[in-house]
Amino acid sequence: MIQHETQGDLSVITLDRAQKRNAMLPEMLEGLLAAIEASGDARAVVLVGAGKTFCAGFDLKACAADPSGETMRALLSGLSSCVRAMRVCPAPVVLGVHGAAVAGGCALLGGADVVVAARDAKLGYPVVKIGVSPAVSSPFMLASMTPGVVRSRLVDTELVDGARAFELGMVHALVDTADEVHAHAMELGRSIAQKPGVGCLTTKRWLNEICEVTDSTSQQGLDASLSLTGGEEERARLAALWG
Amino acid sequence: MMMTDAVLLETEGLIATLTINRPDARNAMSVEILEGMHEAVDSLRDSEASVLVITGAGRAFSAGMDLKAVLIELSGDATMGERLLRSLAELTLKIRALDQVTIASVNGAAIGGGCGLTCVCDVTISHADAKLGFPEVDLGLCPAVIAPWVVKKLGGGVARAAMLRGGVMDGREAHAIGLVDWLAEDREGLVSLTRSVAERLASGGPKALSTTKSLLNELDGSLDSALVLKGAALSARVLATPEAQAQLGSFVKR
Repeated sequence: MIQHETQGDLSVITLDRAQKRNAMLPEMLEGLLAAIEASGDARAVVLVGAGKTFCAGFDLKACAADPSGETMRALLSGLSSCVRAMRVCPAPVVLGVHGAAVAGGCALLGGADVVVAARDAKLGYPVVKIGVSPAVSSPFMLASMTPGVVRSRLVDTELVDGARAFELGMVHALVDTADEVHAHAMELGRSIAQKPGVGCLTTKRWLNEICEVTDSTSQQGLDASLSLTGGEEERARLAALWG
Repeated sequence: MMMTDAVLLETEGLIATLTINRPDARNAMSVEILEGMHEAVDSLRDSEASVLVITGAGRAFSAGMDLKAVLIELSGDATMGERLLRSLAELTLKIRALDQVTIASVNGAAIGGGCGLTCVCDVTISHADAKLGFPEVDLGLCPAVIAPWVVKKLGGGVARAAMLRGGVMDGREAHAIGLVDWLAEDREGLVSLTRSVAERLASGGPKALSTTKSLLNELDGSLDSALVLKGAALSARVLATPEAQAQLGSFVKR
């Protein structure tokens, strides 16, 4: 479900569950975490999705099939760990969005340093609809986006396109079509990997210090999301979706 | 009023204009320029002006740090980088704390520290063909000294992407990401746009302007001088590494 390839100083990670629009399963997030943690010596990391879309978020069918909430809990914790790992990864992380980055998929943007997207890509956090709180994403979003934008994105189930996401500061480089996303993300990744190491790595570390997301803030976000898991609202809404 | 001729300060009514005046060196920040800017900014504390415009003479706004001065092989002075960076850090803190509302009128290249200087200002005006950006990482350097201002101007995520990607962008792109607030079509248009924005800002009550600015400074942590000085020390540490010196050496000789 995760492909990880090292090309010289570049670490390339691909979400690869294409037949399910790269929907996240707990073991997939474990694989993603392992790949990010194994990229410690890389000079840049590129994260993209295989198939037609970057990532559709959590596999809700798997969540609905587990009324105990265990699957949802594992996904929320795994997502939080992955985003945190991307941020503390010494090398800058370039993330490419083609098709869609929805819910948990969009949350991955919070850990990225540079986000490339297609103009027509769809991005957003429509999770309150299914009784899930996107609180887990909020500490990382607040560290990178305008607070007003974070607020309106997290409570609204509407998706925005890539062009609008660029205006909102969620995306930092736009390409015209989905087909160009991988190539552009790779080009940016290679360009960053070729820069002299000390300056670039020190810059990322300093930015992490200036825009700090502490362990306790990140835990607070995760706990808020976990507090609803297995509850009646979430269970009923998930069951209605797959019932 | 004129300071050293490396930095000019003129006041007309409520609008003061500081011009960085070393066009042959693309207004790169040398000891002389930084001292002149400190002196000019200090003198504004007793000024009646309510708006300060900062701009550059000639084709560049400021090409950033004087790279020849911080190349140890050329200057023979291993402490110069640290001194210049500290001076730049102190200058940015002073400009931020001014009562005057500040406008960066970016007439041409605003690179590295020069681009950082625009982020300290309250309003940035430029034109479509100007070049702005943070190519420090391309040269093995670290823009830590100006990063706090860039983050305050652009927000953490956009600032992160701009500083880690390196390179430069044109005025239009800088406008799209929020680095530039008002954009003129070309250099000629910039002069009249700067005048009209400066006059509009100067039409505000001076106390209303300075009170607003001072509260914003307090709310967004602009008065945290320790952070900016720590950034300067970090930039200086990276600058002194053999890797950065080697990169700079080949860049300066190019």
